[in-house]
Amino acid sequence: MLAIISSSLIGIRLLMNDNTDETLDSVEIRDYQGQKLSSMNDFRENSIQGPQYIDEENYRLVITGLVNRNMSYTYEDVITEHNIYQKAVTLYCVEGWDVTILWEGVLVRDLAYKAGVDPKANTVIFYAHDGYSTSLPLDYIVENNIMIAYRMNGVILPPERGFPFQLVAESKWGYKWIKWITRIELTDNTNYRGFWESRGYSNDGGLEESFLEEP
Amino acid sequence: MEENSLRIIKKTISWLLLVVTAVYIMTGFGITEYRIVEPLTSGLLSKALSFRVHLNLEIPFMILLLLHIFFGSIDRIYCRLTGRKRREDGRSPSQ
Repeated sequence: MLAIISSSLIGIRLLMNDNTDETLDSVEIRDYQGQKLSSMNDFRENSIQGPQYIDEENYRLVITGLVNRNMSYTYEDVITEHNIYQKAVTLYCVEGWDVTILWEGVLVRDLAYKAGVDPKANTVIFYAHDGYSTSLPLDYIVENNIMIAYRMNGVILPPERGFPFQLVAESKWGYKWIKWITRIELTDNTNYRGFWESRGYSNDGGLEESFLEEP
Repeated sequence: MEENSLRIIKKTISWLLLVVTAVYIMTGFGITEYRIVEPLTSGLLSKALSFRVHLNLEIPFMILLLLHIFFGSIDRIYCRLTGRKRREDGRSPSQ
């Protein structure tokens, strides 16, 4: 009797299968051009409010401040309307660990230029969904082709790693690599201090110097 | 007198090492578990302060640890040479 019921259930399931293409889970890349990559799981979770779970449908990336027109992009817009770049970059955390990841994303410069940058703008402030923020000089962003990544090691950023976008602040300490970016503001306020910067961390955040501000 | 001074130095180093170790561990937690430590200390031990203290304690901790090992060894050698028995609490049997 049980065998009849279970075989009928399998039959129903097979009938309901409409044979549409399904996306298979991505597999993490661990080697890029001969360079060994770290795993996505090698990160230590040290965000200020724990992982943020952002709904892709309602998500908007806003570009504001000293721009000719404020822009609001959907997740899809950011990825489809801009050139995609990839680069293997190492994140160095102030806590002592580091990870080398193949990042894939769009240039902040492209997003800013599309909005029309006011000549007075010299600083870019990034805001995150959890209330975190950080700032970087506009020149640094432009000259170093700094990107906001949506993929790491070939896999879409999981919520724990900053979905939808994480800043790849090359040659800066990990606290500049803001996750869950929701707003990018261009400003002429060079004194803006982000979350950790207002708590004693260096505003420059360069790897070549101490992350702690001189007292 | 010599034995007495050695004992005082040993004791001072031991207590200092204990304090430094405790602070070292606490600030270590203040760095990695700041979301717990900061509210527990009413914001007194922030992550940045923990870093500052922790990094500045590295050398004193190492020095005190080495001194602790050194004086411990001296005491052991002294006891072996004089035939005196070491007490578990570090005091000489004559006390």
